[in-house]
Amino acid sequence: MRLVISIILTTCFAGIAEWYAPWWAAALVAGIVGLYQSTTAKAFLVGFCGIGLLWLGFALWRDLPNQHLLSDKLAQLFKLPSGLWYLLLTTILGGIIGGLSAWSTAHMKRLLHSKQE
Amino acid sequence: MRWFRIFPLAITVGLLWLLHHPMGKLPALAKIIDPVNGALAAAEDVQENFNKNLKLIGIQAPVQIWMEERLVPHIQAQNDHDLYFAQGYIHAYFRLWQMDIQTRAAGGRVSEVAGEKAINFDRGQRRKGMVFGAERSLAAMEAEPRTKAMLDAYRDGINAFIHSLNYRQLPLEYKLMGFYPEDWTNLRTALLMKYMADDLTGRTDDIAYTQLRDQLGQDQFDFLFPERKQGNIPVVPQGTRYEPASLQAPPAPSDSVWAHFPQNTETVTANKSETTPKFMEMYAPADAATGIGSNNWALSGSKTQSGKPILCNDPHLGLNLPSLWFEMQLSAPGINTYGASLPGAPGIVIGFNDNISWGLTNNYRDVKDFFEIKQLDEHHYQFNGSAKNFELKIETIKVKGRKDLLDTVRYTLHGPVMYDASFPDETHSNKQLACTWMGHRGSNELLAVYLLNRARDYAQFVRAIQNFQCPAQNFAYADVAGNIAIWGQGQFINKWRGQGKYVMEGIDSQTLWGPDIPRSENPHAFNPAQGYVASANQQVTDSSYPYWYNGSFTEWRSWEINEKILGSNSPQTQQNTGIAARKMTITDMMTIQNNNDSKLADEVLNVIDTINKNALKNWLGSWSGTMQALDKNPTDFHIFWSMLYRDIWQDEFPQAQHKWPSTERTVQLLQQVPKSDYFDDKNTSQKEGLSDLVQRALLEAGDSLKKLKAENKSEWYLFKNTSLTHLAKLGPFSYEHLKIGGWGNTINAASGNHGPSWRMIVEMDTHPKGYGVYPGGQSGNPGSQHYSDYINYWVEGKYFELNFLPQGTSKNPFRYAWTMETGK
Repeated sequence: MRLVISIILTTCFAGIAEWYAPWWAAALVAGIVGLYQSTTAKAFLVGFCGIGLLWLGFALWRDLPNQHLLSDKLAQLFKLPSGLWYLLLTTILGGIIGGLSAWSTAHMKRLLHSKQE
Repeated sequence: MRWFRIFPLAITVGLLWLLHHPMGKLPALAKIIDPVNGALAAAEDVQENFNKNLKLIGIQAPVQIWMEERLVPHIQAQNDHDLYFAQGYIHAYFRLWQMDIQTRAAGGRVSEVAGEKAINFDRGQRRKGMVFGAERSLAAMEAEPRTKAMLDAYRDGINAFIHSLNYRQLPLEYKLMGFYPEDWTNLRTALLMKYMADDLTGRTDDIAYTQLRDQLGQDQFDFLFPERKQGNIPVVPQGTRYEPASLQAPPAPSDSVWAHFPQNTETVTANKSETTPKFMEMYAPADAATGIGSNNWALSGSKTQSGKPILCNDPHLGLNLPSLWFEMQLSAPGINTYGASLPGAPGIVIGFNDNISWGLTNNYRDVKDFFEIKQLDEHHYQFNGSAKNFELKIETIKVKGRKDLLDTVRYTLHGPVMYDASFPDETHSNKQLACTWMGHRGSNELLAVYLLNRARDYAQFVRAIQNFQCPAQNFAYADVAGNIAIWGQGQFINKWRGQGKYVMEGIDSQTLWGPDIPRSENPHAFNPAQGYVASANQQVTDSSYPYWYNGSFTEWRSWEINEKILGSNSPQTQQNTGIAARKMTITDMMTIQNNNDSKLADEVLNVIDTINKNALKNWLGSWSGTMQALDKNPTDFHIFWSMLYRDIWQDEFPQAQHKWPSTERTVQLLQQVPKSDYFDDKNTSQKEGLSDLVQRALLEAGDSLKKLKAENKSEWYLFKNTSLTHLAKLGPFSYEHLKIGGWGNTINAASGNHGPSWRMIVEMDTHPKGYGVYPGGQSGNPGSQHYSDYINYWVEGKYFELNFLPQGTSKNPFRYAWTMETGK
C-alpha cells in the first residue's frame, strides 16, 4: 500500500513540477521520494513507476486527441515501427530517469547515514 | 566499502546530463522525448478549438480575426498599424520556425543552428551580397513612411507572439534542432525579399556561356544558344507598339572586354553541388532543363462565358513544407484584399481586392553580371588605369559546436568579389569574379505590395508596380471594370548589345553598368486585341522592343498556353481541346491549370517517328504526350528523351559545368537539320546519324526501364517523385510520390521538387470570385492535421472557394473567431 501511495505521489508531484520547470524536475522529485524508501530496490521501483506512469499518461493525453498524427511521425524519426512504440520509448525513458534518480538518492542517504554511525 | 554508494548518483547525474545535451548527431533525448514539455507538446487535438481572446501590448483598437475551418484568417482591423501587427502575429503563430530558418538561410546564418555542414552555403550567401543588398533595401523601406510603419507593426506583432512562448509552446523544429527564436527585426523581412530575388534572378549562365563561346566561336554559339528562340510568342503580345526609347543604345566596345576561362579543365563538379549541403538543396536553384517557372494569364470578358475578365496564376517554386505561402484576407479602412502572403513579409503578394487582381511569373531578363577583377596587391585592384581600394567586409559566420569562422569579402565598383581562390567558381579558374546584381540595390518592393493591395484601377496598379525592381516579374492584371493588362516589370539597365551575357573584364568603365531604363518604358500591353495576356517565363517582347536584353527564357509552357489552349486562331487546336472554341468558364481555367500535355513530347514523337519509321509509335502505341500520373508511357518517353538529349550533346560538351543547348533548340535541330554533324558521336570513329542515336537511346532506355520495372517504379508519378520536402529535410515530415501528373514543361508544372505553389483563379465580377489551392496547409506544425490538409486537393486538381468577405461584413460566417485587444 505504501508503495502504491509513493508511486502516485511521485507521479503527481513530478507532474506539477514539470509543468513549471524543465524535464529534469521529474528526476528531482523522484530523487526526493527515493530518500524515503526502505530499500534501494523499492526506491528504484517507485521512481520507475512514478515517472514512467507520468510520461505515459502525458503522452496518451497528447496522443489520443491527436489521433497519433505526431507520435507516428516521431516514431519514424527514431526509426521505430509506429507511434505506439514511441509511447513505449517515452514510458521506459521516463521510468529509467525516475528509477535511477530515486535509486541513487536512496544509496546516498545510506552512505551519509552510515557515516554518522 | 560503503563508498560504492556514491556510484549510483554519479551514474545518474552523468546520464541525466547526457540526456539533456545533444551529442554529435544525437539530439538532447530527454528534452525531446519528455511528453510534458518536449516534442509531443506539439501534438494538436484534431478537434482543436481555434477561438482566442488575446490581450496584446501594441494593439491600438480591437481587431477581429475570423477563421475558416481550414484556418484561413480574415483580419478586420480598424487601422493599418493593427492590421499588420495582427498579420505578423498570425504568421508567427502558424509559421514561426519557417520564417526563422528561411531568413537565416537568406542571410547565411544556417551553420549557427545546423553546424559545419552549412558553412559553405553560408559563405556563398554572404559572398553574393545577400546581407549587403538586404541592408540597403531595409534603408529604402525605412525611409518611406508607409512601408516603415508597415514593417514596424508587422515586426511588433511577430515579437508579441515570440514573447508569449515558453519552451513547451515552441514550434517542434526548435526543439529538434536545439535552438531558440530570436526577436524579429525588419532586416529579417528585407532578407526574405532578397531570398526571393536570389531564388528568381540569382542564377546566371555567364561563366558557362563565356566558355562555350570561346569553344564554339560566336557563330556556332549563336546557332546553338540563340538569344531569341524561334517561334517565341512573347509575354507582351506580338505587334504591341513600343514608344521610342528615351535612352540611346550605348555602342558596344571591342571584343577585348570579355574574360576567358580555361577550356580543358578536367571534368569537375560544379561548386554549387559541392558546397550545398544535402538538406539545403531547396535553396539551390532548380534545374532549368526541366523548364521551371510559372504561368499567369488574364482573359478579357470577350473570351469568358460570364463576360467578366478572369485572371489565373500558378507560380512554380520549390515544393516544401511548411509551404511558402500563407492564405489570408486583410481588411481595414482603405484596404480589403485576399490572397497568398509570404510568412516573413507583410501584405498580400499574389491576390485580388474589391477592384483588381494580379498574378506573377518570373521575368528572366538577366540582371546579374560577372566581372573579372585584376588584383594589384592585397588591398588594390586596377580600374581605369589606376589603383582602387577594395572595401573589406568581414563576415563572421557562427558555427554550432565550433569557433566562429571569419570570411573577408572584398567589395569593388562592380560589387562583391564572390569567387576567388578561397571560394572557387564552377570552373576552378581561381579568377577573382565580382558580381553586379540588381538585388544589391536598395529597392522597396514592399511599397509595391502596399499600393497593389489598395489599388482601385489600372492607373493605380501601374503606379504601384513601378516600385517593383527586383526580382523582375511579369504582372498580369484584370479588373472589375473589364480591363486586362500585362507588364514585364522590374529595374533594368540600358545595356550595350551583349553586355553581361558573358563574363567581362572589370578593368575599366567600358563594362560598368550604365543608366537605368525608366521603369515606365518597361514592356507592357493594356487590353490587347487578342483578348488575353499570358506569360510563362518566355522571352518578354518581340524584336521591336527598342532596348537590348538577354535572359534564360523557356518557351514550352508559353506555347502550350498560347497555341493550344488560349489562342483561337488555330482550328486544329480547337479540335484538340474543344476549349478555345467556346467562351471560357472557371471550370475551363481549372482544367487548363491542371493540364499535363507536353508539347515537347508531342513534337519529339512526331519528328522521331518520321526519321526512324514509327519507332516510338510501335513502342508507345497511341500515346500522345500527356504526362499523366498513373500512366507508364510518360516514364518510357522521358527516359528515352533524356538518353537521346544526352547522347546528342555529351560528346560536344563533356564537362560537368557545361550548359547544353535548350530542349527547345534541340527539338528544332531535330526538325530542321536532321543531318547535322551534332548528331554524330565524336567519340567513335564511324559517322553516326540521328537515326543511330535514336536506336542507341532506345536501347539504353530499354535497359533503364527494365530496372524500373523490377523495382515497380515505372508509373510516371513513382518515377518522377513529386515531393513536398520539409525545410529541414526531415523525412517523416515530408510527403513523397504524390500522385500528380505533369513535368516542368507542362502547364501543370509538377516536377520532382518544384511545382505550382499557389493555383489561383479569380473572376472579376462586381464582387470578385476566387478559387485557389496550394500544396501544404496553413499550419506549419507537423503535429497538426492542418499541416498537410490541402495536399490531396492540390494533387487532385481541386480548388477551395475563396471566401472573400465584403468590407465591413458584420457577422462571422466561419467556424472560429479571434479577438485582439489592447493589453497592459
